[in-house]
Amino acid sequence: MSKKKELVSKIGLRLDGRRADELRRVRCKMGVFSQPDGSAYIEQGLTKVLAAVYGPHQVRGNRSKAQHDSAIVNCQFSMAVFSTSERKKRPRGDRKSSEMSIHLRQALLAAIKVELYPWSQIDIYVEVLHADGGVYPACVNAATLALIDAGIPLKEYVCACSASLANNDIPMVDISHQEEMLGGPTLTIAALPMSEKIVLMEMSQRFHIDHLPKVMAKALKGCKDIKVILDEAVRSHVEDVGCSTGWSNTSQKIKV
Amino acid sequence: MALCEAEKTFILHSVEENFRIDGRQRGDYRPMELETNIVAPSFGSARLRLANTDVLVSVKLEIDSPTLEQPKLGKIEFFVDCSANATPDFEGRGGDNLATEISNCLSSAYKSSTAFDAGKLCILKGSKCWKLYVDILLLECGGNLYDAVSLAVKAALWDTRIPLVKSVVVDGNKVDMEVSDELFDCERLDVTGAPIMVTVCKIGDQCIVDPTTAEEHCSGGSVVVAVSKSNFSTILQTGGGSLHPMTLLESLKLGQTVAQRLDSTLINTLKQINDNSTDVGFLK
Amino acid sequence: MFSTRAFIKKNKVGNYLKNIREHYIRDDIFCGLESCKSCEVLDTSLTGGFNNKNNLFKFNHYIILDTNIILDQIDILEEDVFGNVIILHTVLKEVKHRSLPVYKRLMSIIENPTRHFYIFTNDHHKDTYINQEKGELINDFNDRCIRKACTWYMKHMPNEKFVLITDDRGNRNTARNEKIKTCTITDYVKNLENSKHLQDKLARKDFHTVVDSDDFYPPHLPTVDIIQGIKDGSLHQGTFRASTSNFLEASVNVDEFEEPVIVQGRAGLNRAVDGDFVAIKILSKDEWISPSDIILEDESVTEGVDEVLEKEKVLKKTQKKANAQPTGMVVGIVRRKWRQYCGILQPSNMDGLFHLFVPADRKIPKVRIETRQAEFLRTQKIIVAIDTWPRHSRYPTGHFVRALGKIGDQATENEVVLLEHDVPHSKFSEEVLSFLPKLPWTIKEGDIAARVDLRGLDICSVDPPGCTDIDDALHCREIEDDKLEVGVHIADVSHFIRPGNALDIEASNRATTVYLVNNRIDMVPVLLSSNLCSLRGGEERFAFSCVWIMDKEANILETRFHKSIIKSKKAMTYEEAQMVIDDKHQVHSIAQSLRNLNSLAKILKRGRLDKGALVLASPEVKILMDSETHDPISVEAKKLFETNSMVEEFMLLANISVAQKILKEFPECALLRRHPTPPPNNFDPLVKAGNHLGFAIKIDSGKNLAASLDEAIREDNPFLNTMLRILATRCMMQAVYFSSGMYQKDEYFHYGLAVPLYTHFTSPIRRYADIIVHRLLAVAIGADCTYPDLLDKHKSTDLCKNLNYRNRMAQYAGRASVAFNTHLFFRGKLQDEEGYVLFVKKNALQILIPKYGLECTLYISEEGKTSPFTYDEDHQTQTAGDIVLHAFDPVIVRLTLDSKNIQHEKFILQLVKPHIEGFSIAPLTEMETKHKLTEIESGKKNKKQKKS
Repeated sequence: MSKKKELVSKIGLRLDGRRADELRRVRCKMGVFSQPDGSAYIEQGLTKVLAAVYGPHQVRGNRSKAQHDSAIVNCQFSMAVFSTSERKKRPRGDRKSSEMSIHLRQALLAAIKVELYPWSQIDIYVEVLHADGGVYPACVNAATLALIDAGIPLKEYVCACSASLANNDIPMVDISHQEEMLGGPTLTIAALPMSEKIVLMEMSQRFHIDHLPKVMAKALKGCKDIKVILDEAVRSHVEDVGCSTGWSNTSQKIKV
Repeated sequence: MALCEAEKTFILHSVEENFRIDGRQRGDYRPMELETNIVAPSFGSARLRLANTDVLVSVKLEIDSPTLEQPKLGKIEFFVDCSANATPDFEGRGGDNLATEISNCLSSAYKSSTAFDAGKLCILKGSKCWKLYVDILLLECGGNLYDAVSLAVKAALWDTRIPLVKSVVVDGNKVDMEVSDELFDCERLDVTGAPIMVTVCKIGDQCIVDPTTAEEHCSGGSVVVAVSKSNFSTILQTGGGSLHPMTLLESLKLGQTVAQRLDSTLINTLKQINDNSTDVGFLK
Repeated sequence: MFSTRAFIKKNKVGNYLKNIREHYIRDDIFCGLESCKSCEVLDTSLTGGFNNKNNLFKFNHYIILDTNIILDQIDILEEDVFGNVIILHTVLKEVKHRSLPVYKRLMSIIENPTRHFYIFTNDHHKDTYINQEKGELINDFNDRCIRKACTWYMKHMPNEKFVLITDDRGNRNTARNEKIKTCTITDYVKNLENSKHLQDKLARKDFHTVVDSDDFYPPHLPTVDIIQGIKDGSLHQGTFRASTSNFLEASVNVDEFEEPVIVQGRAGLNRAVDGDFVAIKILSKDEWISPSDIILEDESVTEGVDEVLEKEKVLKKTQKKANAQPTGMVVGIVRRKWRQYCGILQPSNMDGLFHLFVPADRKIPKVRIETRQAEFLRTQKIIVAIDTWPRHSRYPTGHFVRALGKIGDQATENEVVLLEHDVPHSKFSEEVLSFLPKLPWTIKEGDIAARVDLRGLDICSVDPPGCTDIDDALHCREIEDDKLEVGVHIADVSHFIRPGNALDIEASNRATTVYLVNNRIDMVPVLLSSNLCSLRGGEERFAFSCVWIMDKEANILETRFHKSIIKSKKAMTYEEAQMVIDDKHQVHSIAQSLRNLNSLAKILKRGRLDKGALVLASPEVKILMDSETHDPISVEAKKLFETNSMVEEFMLLANISVAQKILKEFPECALLRRHPTPPPNNFDPLVKAGNHLGFAIKIDSGKNLAASLDEAIREDNPFLNTMLRILATRCMMQAVYFSSGMYQKDEYFHYGLAVPLYTHFTSPIRRYADIIVHRLLAVAIGADCTYPDLLDKHKSTDLCKNLNYRNRMAQYAGRASVAFNTHLFFRGKLQDEEGYVLFVKKNALQILIPKYGLECTLYISEEGKTSPFTYDEDHQTQTAGDIVLHAFDPVIVRLTLDSKNIQHEKFILQLVKPHIEGFSIAPLTEMETKHKLTEIESGKKNKKQKKS
């Protein structure tokens, strides 16, 4: 029979020791840089992404692009040449990264309240430092944090997550590079986890329709789990910033 | 960055008084943070943060053949990428000019064999050698890019571990090599001579080092010196403005002493880095 | 917790990359002990209810094994003697990496709850995870992981005892220092209760008898040198193929040479076993020799080496330089392909523990094994595995695995045939059976709605007598204006076997039903094969129908495919159907439809032959069995009726129609069957034989070949044409399954049938290929949905590989079974039979006896005797006096069975007619024959009487 590798072992562990429904370790930080209006860093497993947000500001360059009823959202996806184990020739400008930029914009546009900033522009830049599977989800999640750091109003968090099918049967979440290489098709979705709306869905290969619902449910669950982690990060960041600006003093006074 | 006349005058005076706007003296540097082994899929890497200037450097390896002119030498190539994260101006190909300038400067600084011994990268004369790809990613620009880049590159090269070539077999035109797959078996590079670049900036009648972005704006001319041990490996005049030969010589002297000081500090710092320290990266 | 693992890997273009992977360390991995209070016990099979009893450790204990124990001693582990075994994940991973077959066997032990095996994921457990240290070898690191897990268990469960079994002395010593109880597997097994028979099964890797004895074989080169040598071209690698007739010769197929490379002699073969992937050194050209033409058998009964040396001398003497082929010697083994071998114990008076095992396969050397039950095993067919072949040992060393049964028993021999041909024949597992439909099975409303109801049609099936797996049925009726509707209805097996479940996986692995003389190894469980899928007469069954509208000239006007429900009116045998057709008094609808079918089939056949389809022949025989004793009572050639050909024509037509349909729908992944055009030199023997007889056999195209075969008829020898066709059959290539995406269109051609497209659709009960074709067709007509593997051409190529392999093996197994039963039939018999000369050789005639489908050798020159014959190489004749024997000449020979070698019985032939003075023997008188027969009869009766 086929020699397809088992991605979930008999004892229910994946190659890296996770269970099928477990995300990789997520670590994140907001406000990593001082020059952009908002910035964030996220690690999902070994995948590492930096995001920076500039704006809302005046439309740069061609002013005629400006829109009277909403802000322009401009995204650029870039991957450091050293981010994969085999060195890339160019950080951006290839088809793949242009596509990523478009998909990124699509997902973020769904959450940003662009109508609040007519005649202006918001720039979102993501830089992948290490790609180890699930690059797009990490970019979306990082960009969300950076947007929050920049103080740009969002309808809600946009989170993204990938999912796939192990052993042709078990849906598993947050696919690492190794699993992408060995396994079957990967499904990536970006969603508004609170309202359970999907804003982007993409498949790497053909997916059998029978399997789709359960894999999609897994990916959506992954988005919700990520939302919880991001939310926690945002709250602790706000607390830290609040502390340093003396806000915590007032709260302490209240406690007293 | 736009500065008004009053601001410029203030900066000019502060330099004259040897009490710069951030409180430094003319030969002082801003605080730096350095971390090595930060890019997992690379053979060596370093991140240097000099105040607001943030540089990430990775070293990757490929097998290549030496050039016909220099059959005994390995290769080293520098690639600079200005991330749009640093400023929207770098979006698309916006940062290419700056990137080319920096990478050319690095190439010429590393060209001399005393600065960097490319012979060590040669595996088999005339047919196999290592090619080092030194990739520099500018994440934030807060002035004094050259110095930051050169320090980060040196740190990344220090961190680089070259896989151990166990055997090389030559059979006619075919060369087969066996390389150990154990990371423990790797060899470090000798980078003690790797050049340090110092930007000397002339403001008014005085020369300063490590200019901030604001100070760079007030500069009447600046020169980048690359110093390997005690020798100059390259000199590059950057920015607008002109310099008097006397001032230039003075700047070189200042650059040289500062570079040597920086170099020994860097080496000392690198020596203290513990192999088993956990990664911090951007989470700090 | 979290850690990473980094390593350097070479990529395709030769660059070195640093790869890095995550490794998560968990706190929710449990020890698996029932008595543990702190761990969650989910479902563990380790239990306090099972006690390991061992004299070495006189307390209940749990066992931890190291990797090599599992790899070497899997036979012992499969014995139900000890349980409560903890398999560490580190060990499991390494086993999987080193040997997939052993891994699979281990997994099936682990899954058996009565064995009490448990996997402990030590490498992801927070307390047992450790990092490889700088300079630490991977083996040492693994050993350290195992010890770490042991000490953790000891600390975790201080009241329980754990024993580490390892054969690595260093590891044992270190373990003892860490207070771990440990021993070797040999010591452990020896001290088990009732261990006597188990000790035989221990693999002997560590075996060193007489170290001071001289090394008998040259050493193998170290692996590094081999790789080096192959790289720089000084060595070559290839598969080692032992000769069947000469135990001191073998050939190795090497890419660099067109001809196989000959290796000869003890040093040349240097411990390679048939199938091994070996490295060879080519000798200098002046040492090259031609393949030997003498037969040498290994007749030694002891481990003494004198006999080999003697035989080697004989071989040296006969070495010839004419037509020399590349010659070399084995210098190392790249990969062993050792498997388990069937055979018997060498009858000898060797005492003591060591005995020689003689494999049934002549290509395999004898194996030295240790056993304490030699007396018993001498009566048995046994299975033995080879463990090692040290330099000083004449024979490889192995261990006894299990006994199959008494030598010569039908059941035992069947088992041997199945094992030797790698036919999966274990009982269907419970899991597989769980996917069968539940009885009583009824047709549901929904099924009727989804299918075309053909229950009203007069459908009947025609099969050989005694057939219980009826997969095809036919009908034919006249519809308006001279048009006929013809339907082929095939059992709808894919309705019952759904893709991907255990039943499907089992069937796809078995690939085909294997027919032995008195046994059938089903591909699918009997409930399906003989009941629910079998289109039995008078029962309502699901079918997949292929229906054509034809005119009376058999031109297809329209083709339809649909799923249907049918009710076969009658299940007939070929003979019955033939009688119905021939009996003009029968005019009922079935008779009509059969007659119509028959006449259409004749037209179809004519058309096919005109296009160049070949009529080939191979002697097929049928063995009639005594229903009581299961002894063969007669062997006869199969009878063929017109109806055989009738059914065949429609099956061919259905297959072709389906092939066209699925290829149209799935140009990339249709499963088809191709029969490659044979390369011209394959036909050499046929052309040569034709030339000697004065017939020009044209081989440039299938059509010309068919035509020239048709013309090759001689009045005085009616069998001659059949003989030529038998020869032609042997020139053909194997027909194979393939996925359409992997070949060019013109390669789809089926040479034998002379059709551009062909597939198998009509026997889904006994062939898995047909099930796949059914699924493809069902998707094509919208009757079923698809699944990913069906449409993946690489997956389906993998599947085809297995199907082709299993088919080939099934064919061989069938032949071996017929051969065995023919032998059984001839035991003690003496018979004169008609035969034909197939080939004329220098010292022998190859004789075909059509009555029994036998092909035997008649030796005409014996050593030390002068032969009356003279050989004419140009005309391929043997002349004795005025008698000239050509190829295809009829002869009468006497057949006897030589049973001296009980594993390899063979026929002895003596010439009866034509009579050649001093060579031929007189024909048997009737008396003699009778006498012999009655002897046997009476012997049988005696036996029966004894029984009662």
